[in-house]
Amino acid sequence: MGAFILRRTGVMILTALCLTFVVFFLTNLFPNLEKLAKTQGNARMTDEEVVSWLDSNGYGGPMILRYGEWLGVVPGWTREDEETGEITGRCIDFGMDPADAPTRCGLLQGDLGFSTVSDDEVGNIIGGRLQLTGILMFWAFALMVPAALLVGVLAGMREGSRLDRSLSTFSIASTATPEYVSGVIFIVFLASSTTGLSPMLVELGWLDSGTLFLGSARSAMENITFWNFFLPVVTIALYGMGYIARMTRASMAEVMTAQYIRTARLKGVNFRSIVMKHALRNALIAPFTVIMLQFPWLLTGVVIVETLFNYNGFGWTMVQAASNNDIELLLACSIVAVFVVLVTQLISDIGYVFLNPRIRIA
Amino acid sequence: MKDFTHVQAETGLATHPVAEMYAQEHKAGKLDRREFLVRSTALGLSAAAAYSLIGATPAAADGHRAVPAAGGTLRIQQEVRALKDPRTYDWSQMANITRGFVEYLIQYNEDGSFEGVLLDSWEANEDATVYTLNLRQGVMWNNGDAFTAEDVAANFIGWCDSTVEGNSMSTRMGGLVDPDTGVAREGAIEVVDDHTVRVTYPAPDITLIPGIADYPSAVQHRDLIGTNPADHGVGTGAYEITNYEVGVSATLTRKADHEYWGETYLDEIVFVDLGQDPAAWFAGAESDEFDMTYETVGEFVDLFAAIGWTQSEVTTAATVVIRPNQNNAPYDDVRVRQAIAMAVDNQVCLDLGINGQGITAQNHHVCPIHPEYADVPALAFDPDGARALLEESGNADFEFELISIDDDYRKNTTDAVGAQLRDAGFNVTRTIIPGSTFWNDWANYPFSSTNWNHRELGVQVLNLAYRSGVPWNESGFANEEFDTLLDQANGIQDADARREIMAQIETIMVNEGVTIQPYWRSLFRHYKAGIVNADMHPKFEINVHYLGFEA
Repeated sequence: MGAFILRRTGVMILTALCLTFVVFFLTNLFPNLEKLAKTQGNARMTDEEVVSWLDSNGYGGPMILRYGEWLGVVPGWTREDEETGEITGRCIDFGMDPADAPTRCGLLQGDLGFSTVSDDEVGNIIGGRLQLTGILMFWAFALMVPAALLVGVLAGMREGSRLDRSLSTFSIASTATPEYVSGVIFIVFLASSTTGLSPMLVELGWLDSGTLFLGSARSAMENITFWNFFLPVVTIALYGMGYIARMTRASMAEVMTAQYIRTARLKGVNFRSIVMKHALRNALIAPFTVIMLQFPWLLTGVVIVETLFNYNGFGWTMVQAASNNDIELLLACSIVAVFVVLVTQLISDIGYVFLNPRIRIA
Repeated sequence: MKDFTHVQAETGLATHPVAEMYAQEHKAGKLDRREFLVRSTALGLSAAAAYSLIGATPAAADGHRAVPAAGGTLRIQQEVRALKDPRTYDWSQMANITRGFVEYLIQYNEDGSFEGVLLDSWEANEDATVYTLNLRQGVMWNNGDAFTAEDVAANFIGWCDSTVEGNSMSTRMGGLVDPDTGVAREGAIEVVDDHTVRVTYPAPDITLIPGIADYPSAVQHRDLIGTNPADHGVGTGAYEITNYEVGVSATLTRKADHEYWGETYLDEIVFVDLGQDPAAWFAGAESDEFDMTYETVGEFVDLFAAIGWTQSEVTTAATVVIRPNQNNAPYDDVRVRQAIAMAVDNQVCLDLGINGQGITAQNHHVCPIHPEYADVPALAFDPDGARALLEESGNADFEFELISIDDDYRKNTTDAVGAQLRDAGFNVTRTIIPGSTFWNDWANYPFSSTNWNHRELGVQVLNLAYRSGVPWNESGFANEEFDTLLDQANGIQDADARREIMAQIETIMVNEGVTIQPYWRSLFRHYKAGIVNADMHPKFEINVHYLGFEA
């Protein structure tokens, strides 16, 4: 087991290196850098000036070396101004004495760089944003997993029944509706004071004024309530829920046809205790992997939902970074995304071994 | 009660020979009331004196602000951008936040009059070459220093420094800048005594007062010129920044142990950035995320009114220009520019771009509400003629890349222009660039749209945007005759006399096809009932010191 985890970790680091290099390569393509130079320097630069700006700001040189600098394995660039003798460099902060600056500053040293749009260190920005997304993900999971398992088990215990058919239809519909559709539908029906449910409730006198749910989750960043946070959570949860429910149903239906269940029924054990005591445990092994695999899926959902509901978490930051050519912030976001995906994969592999004794990892 | 009219009635000029001439013009129907107020208060008359010259009494809203109750937190939906040296501000939102602590010498009011903030009063000599600025007494910086004439002089010298990249104040300073050295002319700014500054122009100039009321003219401490106010927090205002997260929110809190010279009401103001999409603003309003919009645009004007928010409207010289940049081929060819202008019907842009919320304009960027407006028509709408002209210039197959920002009326108007160009047989590609990135390079796109804020006088925007080589000259227009005429117009006080020159200037603008400037916008703002002094300002200004909740 220890050797397996070690090997997996090794593979993980290698994958992370490859993926970050791909992102680094794409964000550091010349047109992007040219845009950056014109944004940060002077918008009227000529091509030669762009090249010289890039050179003097550490964007010259071979890309592999710059990737090394960003990782923190290659010493950061330094450059002495020919006229003033002023020394600038990757690791020399504004106003810092060049002699005090560290030689390397990159990912390994915990320095994620500087965000051009936010005018702040990436490290300062991304921490709080991740926390916000963490809260959103937690509640999405807390809603999605129990609901999906319940739906799946109810549907799977009597395959082909009316209950199964209706629950299956529901889960297929929810999986087939992407977040950007369901989110908008929810806002229209539940969070608008002019259409949908809210004006009806107001007319009936059950609601004072305004809307039932809030169509913007901005206030949830400080103070989460059911009314300001339910819509983003349910929008994310619904998409993953259908899929998990379908997997649980398949697994449950398979278990329900097993020999030992038939034996138990023939012995006259009541249906309720067959499902609860005998079938459920075995049926939940397959959905576990699916649930772990939902993490990467949720990351994409978070990008859409956070933008839609104006919740300034990690996904929103990624959209802002990408659309404003904020290279270092985007790289930091991709690191986080890669890390989340790989770690959940590892957890799911290890967890599977514990749940299913038939699988052995040498 | 905060009654500036009263204060000014005591200290401002009672009358001025030129103002009396304006009063005559007003009575003869040549100047409307707003124009009269702008011009006479710019000469140093108090608003009350100006009103008395024309035998009118100020309306309740003019010069008298309601007094809100003390205390409370107000949330304003507005973009929160990275701050920088105020001289280089290119966005009035930045100033709306910093106005809470770095204040201005003069402010421009919704009714078109000027009012002293850090200035007590000011007066111009007869030919508008010498301005005497009298500072308000008893104003303190929040670091304990007294606000003196030295501060004002240091700021003027800073504003005049055209060697600072992106310093748009240097163009507003006009003749105070020595064209040879690029900094303030020797002796142009004199400290007379602790509370008096004298500014001397080499030639008559009427744009000083509007210039120092504009949003990049925030007054910094004498030792902190050229710094970012967010870094040091030193100012004369009552507030301080307690939280600043670009793109998310900013908070101003009343600064403890700083005695503000005036009255202020709110304890805290939060600026909430909900991005560039007005649909998100509306969702935010329905979710009670804020109490007041920075600006409400397009169809959302009706929607905000429908959910019961109070609407405030002001008609302005704010506009959008869709301009080719003449430094790029083929826009250096006047035929191509004319063809573009002829292919576009400005009424269509008004209807599709802003739901008809405004009036059509004639592509010369001088508005009927400007005193010197001359009625010069745009080139006639003629798609066939446009196509013929384009073919004649040899650019029939050229692919026109038309760039705009990603949302609201600017995109819609640009789309309307693009569609009309296509109808006329132009080969058009539309490119849309997201909000924060768009502005980084706005002046240099070959063919793009830009929104321009309201300015008080017609010559002002021409000085800023169309004079050869100025930083905001986004059309790359360089025309010696135009520059010469503009110099002349800048020195003429009389509206009628200036109008003759303006007619020539406007004709050049139209005939050179400098820009498509399709309409003048009405501006809207919405706020919840019970909020006081939050009315829409023609220049989007928000002075947090005045805001508050109904007493």
